[in-house]
Amino acid sequence: MEQLIKKLTEAYGPSGREEQIREVIREEISDLADEIRVDYLGNLIALKKGTASGKKKPIMLAAHMDEIGLMITHIEEKGFLRFTGVGGIAPSRLTGARMILPSGRKGLIYHEPLKDSSKLTLEKMYLDIGVETEEEAREFVTIGDIAVADEPFIVLGNRFLAKALDDRIGCAILILVLQQMEKTSRDLYFVFTSQEEVGLRGARTSAFGIDPGLGLAVDVTMAGDTPEVKKMDVKLGAGAAIKVKDSSLITSPLIRDKMIEIAENEKIPYQLEVLPRGGTDAGGISLTREGVLAGCVSIPCRYVHSPGEMVDRRDVEGAVKLLEKMLQQDLEFPG
Amino acid sequence: MDLKSFIERISNSLGISGCEQEVAGEITMAWEQIADEVRRDNLGNVIALKKGKNSHKPPLMLAAHQDEIGFLVRDIDKDGFISLDPIGGIDPRLLPGQEIKIWGREETLGVVGARPPHLQKPQDREKAIPLEKIFVDCGLKKEELEKKIRIGDAVTFHQKMGWLNENIGYGKALDDRAGVAALHQVLLELKDRTTPLDVAVVATVQEEVGIRGAITSSFALNPDLGLAVDVAFASRPGLEKEMTLNSNGGPGLEIGPHMHPGVLEKLKEVAGEKEIPIQLIGVPHPGGTDTYVMQMNRCGMATGLLSIPLANMHSPVEVIDIRDVRRTGRLMASFCLQADVEFVEGLKCL
Repeated sequence: MEQLIKKLTEAYGPSGREEQIREVIREEISDLADEIRVDYLGNLIALKKGTASGKKKPIMLAAHMDEIGLMITHIEEKGFLRFTGVGGIAPSRLTGARMILPSGRKGLIYHEPLKDSSKLTLEKMYLDIGVETEEEAREFVTIGDIAVADEPFIVLGNRFLAKALDDRIGCAILILVLQQMEKTSRDLYFVFTSQEEVGLRGARTSAFGIDPGLGLAVDVTMAGDTPEVKKMDVKLGAGAAIKVKDSSLITSPLIRDKMIEIAENEKIPYQLEVLPRGGTDAGGISLTREGVLAGCVSIPCRYVHSPGEMVDRRDVEGAVKLLEKMLQQDLEFPG
Repeated sequence: MDLKSFIERISNSLGISGCEQEVAGEITMAWEQIADEVRRDNLGNVIALKKGKNSHKPPLMLAAHQDEIGFLVRDIDKDGFISLDPIGGIDPRLLPGQEIKIWGREETLGVVGARPPHLQKPQDREKAIPLEKIFVDCGLKKEELEKKIRIGDAVTFHQKMGWLNENIGYGKALDDRAGVAALHQVLLELKDRTTPLDVAVVATVQEEVGIRGAITSSFALNPDLGLAVDVAFASRPGLEKEMTLNSNGGPGLEIGPHMHPGVLEKLKEVAGEKEIPIQLIGVPHPGGTDTYVMQMNRCGMATGLLSIPLANMHSPVEVIDIRDVRRTGRLMASFCLQADVEFVEGLKCL
């Protein structure tokens, strides 16, 4: 599991530029699926055929493979790079971060001197790639390139620390489920979606194409277990979280209660998640066509959207187990 | 069911966005008596169909949202005090001192705490308390509470609909249950009549959190013409005149890019014939109603928006005049009786 997560988190793949991460995932699943295709938005769609293929609507599982990044907008005379955010970027989490450009060139983020650090904005920040002139910089970067965090995956006891655990941990879970999945009656689509961080875009088009009866996303959620953080009853290590609500989805009580029931019957620890802000692919899927029943299994994660995100192994294992049990149960739902 | 009983029943029911099962059940039960068929879709939209003469043509869609604003239980602290997460545009200043209901495994009452004035610092008095600092007290220890409720349970104001006089009612969720009641009136009016087109009457879900139910229901119905009915600010002391409608002044017709000019003319014409008072109001940015997504459905449709005057929006004491609700229903029903194939096709060429 560690090796898989390491490979996935260390790969490059900001929203809209998922080529590298998509190939990493394709390699992992090429022997596991009956069909694999990529659509125009770059979603990687793997089909595991069911025994009742074509008779019942399929189940769609989704985890997004894109990560947040910084798009280079301007190269200064002295070679400093200015940028804008791709996905939700908080300036305070960036100072001192090491980044990597598509060319492989690395650099460090810093900001102009500020009297009041609470006034820090992306406009006051720059990426220093160790060059002296604009001309020299252009050997390594062009306008529109996206830099992502350059951090290695490490294991800290039960915890994993890495960049892009949002949502490569979801991708890892989908792959782990696919590895162990026996035949179900419904077709199962494992979708590694693109462009989630910029508006759940890949999930919308892939769900429209698949027209599933049920959509299940796997993504990270925030944790309320660090000092002085806003109240939220989700902790690392206390089990995968069953989403009740975020800004993109209010889970159908039908699906939420089914997930709770399965977790309780199978003695899989779980938590209930009420997330004040943020969305997931489940929201995009739910509003497709005539509306799709959708739910989300969340992995509690600290420091979301920073260069170092942290999750707990036990929650990851719990999520894999919960999804397997759900899929094995041949859930009945309209369609 | 008569209009007043219907509006009371649905105002008192639970139906915060995403949790509309109870109110949807009430609406379904009532509409099964007066429509040709009623169904619920995957998101929970209640869709009642009234068959017309030209059932092969796309239906005329009427929409009002059944969901209400409210809260979810976000956290229960070690002493049993509850933090809330808002669903829809709630003003947290309205909360302190309120009685609320948690719709858990068991219905549980609570009161929202407020810092006593004696203990407020002078600078505190100038400020509203943010929602993070507001807590609900159910008088129970954490262990007792967890037997009755859990994280994610729905929370509403504890409010039963009442009447200030025979016409003026107050209660929670009248945004937009007053609109749903107007749709009920449409079905009552059309009960023994035949419209030129099928009429699909939709009580939409999840409007308050992003107009979601109207997205999927209009996709399913694929209409060429739709009307939505929502609420607008009723004139009260201190509110700007140009932003408000008069209570008991009849439905507001909201003029803006979401009001097709042909639809507006027809509504005015029908109102004139039936002697239904109307109020015109200019709304150039119609972001927050079902019409917004209906208009953008698939290849687009012609839309119109009617508004019922309502005071104290998003509070536990939203006030409406039942005469406005009835008139809105009558106007829409008369519109449906006149909107034929030719009229709808004419809307393309304006």
